[in-house]
Amino acid sequence: MIVAGSVIALNQENLDTDQMYPGKYLSLITRKGLGHLLFEAFPRGHELLEKNPGASIFVTGENVGCGSSREHAVWALADWGIRAVIAPSFARIFHENCYSNGVVPVVLTDKAALDECFSAKTLEIDVDDEIIRKDGREIAHFELDPLRKDFILHGGFLEYMNTKVDVVRAWRAAALSSRA
Amino acid sequence: MPPRTLFQKVWDAHVIEQLPGDNALLAIDRIIAIEITTPQPAAEIKERFGDRYFDLSSIVAIIDHVSPAKDTETAVQGQALRTWAKEKGVVFYDIGNNGICHVVTPERGWVEPGITLICGDSHTCTHGAFGAYALGIGSSVQCGAMLAGAIIQKRPKVIRINVSGKLLPSATAKDLALTVIATLGFQGGTGAVLEYHGTAIQALSMEERMTLCNMAIEAGASTGIVEPDETTIEYLRGREAQPKGEAFESKAAHWRTLRADPDAVYDKTIDIDGSAIRTMVSWGTNPGESVSIDARVPDGDAASLEYMGLRAGTPMRGIEIDQAFIGSCTNARISDLRAAAEIFKGRKVSVPTIVTPGSQAVKRQAEREGLHDIFQDAGALWTHSSCGPCLGMSMGVVAPGMRIISSTNRNFRNRMGTGGRVHLATPVVVAASAILGRIATPDELPAEVPA
Repeated sequence: MIVAGSVIALNQENLDTDQMYPGKYLSLITRKGLGHLLFEAFPRGHELLEKNPGASIFVTGENVGCGSSREHAVWALADWGIRAVIAPSFARIFHENCYSNGVVPVVLTDKAALDECFSAKTLEIDVDDEIIRKDGREIAHFELDPLRKDFILHGGFLEYMNTKVDVVRAWRAAALSSRA
Repeated sequence: MPPRTLFQKVWDAHVIEQLPGDNALLAIDRIIAIEITTPQPAAEIKERFGDRYFDLSSIVAIIDHVSPAKDTETAVQGQALRTWAKEKGVVFYDIGNNGICHVVTPERGWVEPGITLICGDSHTCTHGAFGAYALGIGSSVQCGAMLAGAIIQKRPKVIRINVSGKLLPSATAKDLALTVIATLGFQGGTGAVLEYHGTAIQALSMEERMTLCNMAIEAGASTGIVEPDETTIEYLRGREAQPKGEAFESKAAHWRTLRADPDAVYDKTIDIDGSAIRTMVSWGTNPGESVSIDARVPDGDAASLEYMGLRAGTPMRGIEIDQAFIGSCTNARISDLRAAAEIFKGRKVSVPTIVTPGSQAVKRQAEREGLHDIFQDAGALWTHSSCGPCLGMSMGVVAPGMRIISSTNRNFRNRMGTGGRVHLATPVVVAASAILGRIATPDELPAEVPA
């Protein structure tokens, strides 16, 4: 799988999910069509979206997605068209939420490579081989969690969990009987 | 077996199997289902998995963030949870009998030592106060857990936070929480569980432990956890979801065994002198940007200073405020309200002030004690329970440029209203500041006016 496209770069640490998706819209019970609310209360972010229509890769600073667990932030990113997020570090819940929704979370700690991403107009992310290319040139390797990478490539986090139901039931039954 | 941390014991007791990439399939004992994050996974399970749940008895549903509905969207959302909870027959706390899920769940006894608990809210770490592994997660992970009774996780690291000595009477659990975050840094706990130990932790009440653990996420940590002890057991005894008599005593006997081994190895240890904890207040736009109230605004992140409308070097004490709020899953339990009432008693607020109890049960208790009269005599607005303005959803959000002192947990940009400026503090500092109209501590107040 290749994610290729133009880049939105927001060089800021600690971009929290309140900035991506304001709390006042948490009252919506759908996960679809939330893209127009992305960065709604965050002027800098909103301007960037307007300047970069059609972008599919979001590059930002450390600790992206910190704060609230709201998956709405990733639903809004994905609905707007973002298919990969590149950052030196991810907050735990946001990281997982990216995987759950097929948004590729690229952890890139190499400063020089990250700077290249920030200055890129377009990038190409080879998900299978875990490589970032800029203008056809390889600029960095990254690592995805192998299990969750499979969820991105072939979908099916929930389908996978569904295959575990019997295992979990058997474990529960054994735990109960050992306690009795 | 090598010596283990408390966290590791809880973790090990729930690992079903190892999965590729160092992941574990981890059994989940309790799911707190709130209106904000549950309708989507419930729809998913219905559409894709024949409406099949792993164990409905593990689920507790609570109308939590907006209570009661404030508009059509929140009415639809509340009704979605209500209809689902009734149809599935899960335990359900509707408006009138509800509150903030991180206040209601413990006070009804649905969390206990040694269990795993998840909720689609980042402040789920609160429940670690009981020696549970409590994790905030997204709606998809909640969906997986409702379907299969488990989640997938890599085992986090464990940071031991040792708080020795004794807190001063003027220092609270919130001050300790802000000190831990300022020490570790806003991202310093990422990928780790904070395991709290030491005499100052043992001396905390359950409500104080909840305040402390509530803010573990604000250091980026997965959660916090405290060793259960007699304080924990006495708190849980007689609570609605707990058994009585022998059955309770037998559980308590197991809880007493949930302790870190003396030689357990931690990935990192932070030592904090409890007696050195001072009253804290935030100056910036994340909770790590906090200082002692006696300090000056630091020469910190320029963007934070600009957003907050502050100049480095300005004393924190004396910064004028426009509004005050006491509420949230951090600091709106009965002990918080009692402490604030002591300050408000016989005095008047000078800025708009809202006091929102953490649950309806807390509200009723406060009213039995006459605290509501004290707040209202002081000129504060006393409300029913809700998350309210903490996350900018309802009941007192601020206008752009307004400065609010708040007993909540997040001072992010736009958090309590677009353009709003938030200073985090303890309930007593919020109360003193509400009276003086500027950031202040209770010792600055003139003597109580006789009634």
